[in-house]
Amino acid sequence: MKKKFPVISMLILTIIVFLCLACGLTMTKDPLYMDLAHCNEAPGKEFLFGTDEMGRDVFSMIWYGGRISLTVGFLATLISTMLAVLIGSVSGCASARIDGVLMRLTELILSVPGLLLTVSLQVVFGRADVYSLSVVIGLTGWMGMAKVVRTEVVQLGNTDYVLAAKCLGGRFFHVLFRHLAPNLFPSVLFMAVMHVRNAIVAEAALSFMGLGLSVEVVSWGSMLSLAERALFSRAWWMIVIPGIFLTGTLLCLTNLGEYMRGSANKRHSNLG
Amino acid sequence: MWRKFLRNRHLIKMVNNIGKFLISVFVLSVLVFTLSRLAPGDPLYAYYGERVEKMSVEEQDQARERLGLHAPLFTQYVRWLQRAVHGDFGISYQYKTDVKEVIAAGIGNTLLLGGLGFVLIFALALFLGLFCAWREDRLADRIVCRIGTVTSCIPEFWLSLLLLLIFSVWLDWLPSSGAYAAGGGSLSDRAVHLILPLSVVVLGHLWYYAFQVRNRLLEEVRADYVLLARMKGLSGRQVLYRHCLRGALPSYLSMMAIALPHILGGTYVVETVFSYPGIGKLAYESARYQDYNLLMVVSLLTGTLVILCNLTAQLVNERIDPRMGVRSASAGGEVRRL
Repeated sequence: MKKKFPVISMLILTIIVFLCLACGLTMTKDPLYMDLAHCNEAPGKEFLFGTDEMGRDVFSMIWYGGRISLTVGFLATLISTMLAVLIGSVSGCASARIDGVLMRLTELILSVPGLLLTVSLQVVFGRADVYSLSVVIGLTGWMGMAKVVRTEVVQLGNTDYVLAAKCLGGRFFHVLFRHLAPNLFPSVLFMAVMHVRNAIVAEAALSFMGLGLSVEVVSWGSMLSLAERALFSRAWWMIVIPGIFLTGTLLCLTNLGEYMRGSANKRHSNLG
Repeated sequence: MWRKFLRNRHLIKMVNNIGKFLISVFVLSVLVFTLSRLAPGDPLYAYYGERVEKMSVEEQDQARERLGLHAPLFTQYVRWLQRAVHGDFGISYQYKTDVKEVIAAGIGNTLLLGGLGFVLIFALALFLGLFCAWREDRLADRIVCRIGTVTSCIPEFWLSLLLLLIFSVWLDWLPSSGAYAAGGGSLSDRAVHLILPLSVVVLGHLWYYAFQVRNRLLEEVRADYVLLARMKGLSGRQVLYRHCLRGALPSYLSMMAIALPHILGGTYVVETVFSYPGIGKLAYESARYQDYNLLMVVSLLTGTLVILCNLTAQLVNERIDPRMGVRSASAGGEVRRL
């Protein structure tokens, strides 16, 4: 039995992504303009989602910042997926010694707590902007995926049809593209979707803690970095609204990823 | 005698594991050291603090010479390692005291938060996993799964903010920061301060593990021995508790070992949001204020813990389920046709 396609998640995700990409049309105000006459205003007719403490319109910031959050998520995923597939398949195909070294190295990097690794790498890169942050998050997120890719490559390499292809004289690259890549694709896709999610969270968490994007660069995370002061001024909309968009996007991505993981185990339970 | 001793497989394995552990920690220390030296910010500040600004250029140069900062990175590392082996990790720039003291002050709080969270998470995960497996695909299971997925998607820092907003700003029931009230420190006071951070730690991780327990149990429920046990007349509940649970135990235990560093790492963000004085807050502050001596030790500490836990997980697995050792051995010696 196939899992049901998550129609609602996909719909919400498409709407959010579309509105963020087309933020020129959705924005009612300039997201960077600081309207000092309207600081910390609650959601109302003029400011649909209220304004932040610098008088910026939260409604416009959501779409404008969403574009940056999604960009970081996408770019970081691109980097880490490429790295993971590269290292994973090299490790799976190479000799046992190279495989051992690569996998130990992977496990080692995996053993440094993610947040610390990201923070120290970002420190090396200097002041964070959208691209350096994407690179940092991408560079710190490939390990788990690489291990899975390696396992799959080893398993696939041991199947009979790969052996048959090799016996028939198939070259390495023929086997790689013809037989391995199509089989790897679904699991890589699933992990990539999950990774977009992780990268968005990482960006948000880092920016929130003041280690990522600065307050002037609008993203969902940097909007939330104003939250601590918003707590004092009881500006609940500054905390609730960006968070809902963030969590909603993550939830939709998770549902989508779960669907891509493939059909569930539907043998009948022996318990009943 | 020696030959017999050397042939002892358990001993070889132990030495092997200790060797793996030491190598990992060594490489980790190289990694951490290099990263901290590559980072911008003058290490001179790490030793002298604000006084650097009052020094003349020559004085700064002399100080660098004395601290060996002109030496190549490799020599610097060896020197650092020599001191580190003797337990001297340098001085925290921000706190102006020995790094060890700074860490000693925070580690208890982190262990309390992380430890309590750990126990709660795994107790609840087992309970929820069993419940969901028992009611598989019925309404209750589906509702729990749905709620679980939603909670696992909420970023920890936002959950913290939300709880702060509700319980300490709007309702004013619980304190918003710290581990105890100023001057206070009674047990009830500490407990009240723990409620919010602890809930975030637990909610943030719970479903991930509960879902794994559930899925592992569902695999177990489909095994043939369940049919046999049912045929003998045991009730479904008895089979689930007595047989399936036992089958799921190894993965539960190894999950616990792997989870420990994750949960402790998860307290980092939470500690920062709630200004809870622990290791996580220290790590955050040291990264923020470029206090590299401190950051290095915190990273080393947590990294070592992770390596240790991963090894433990592997050992636990092999100990409980001897097949695991064989399986991983055969996986190592797999025929590679590619």
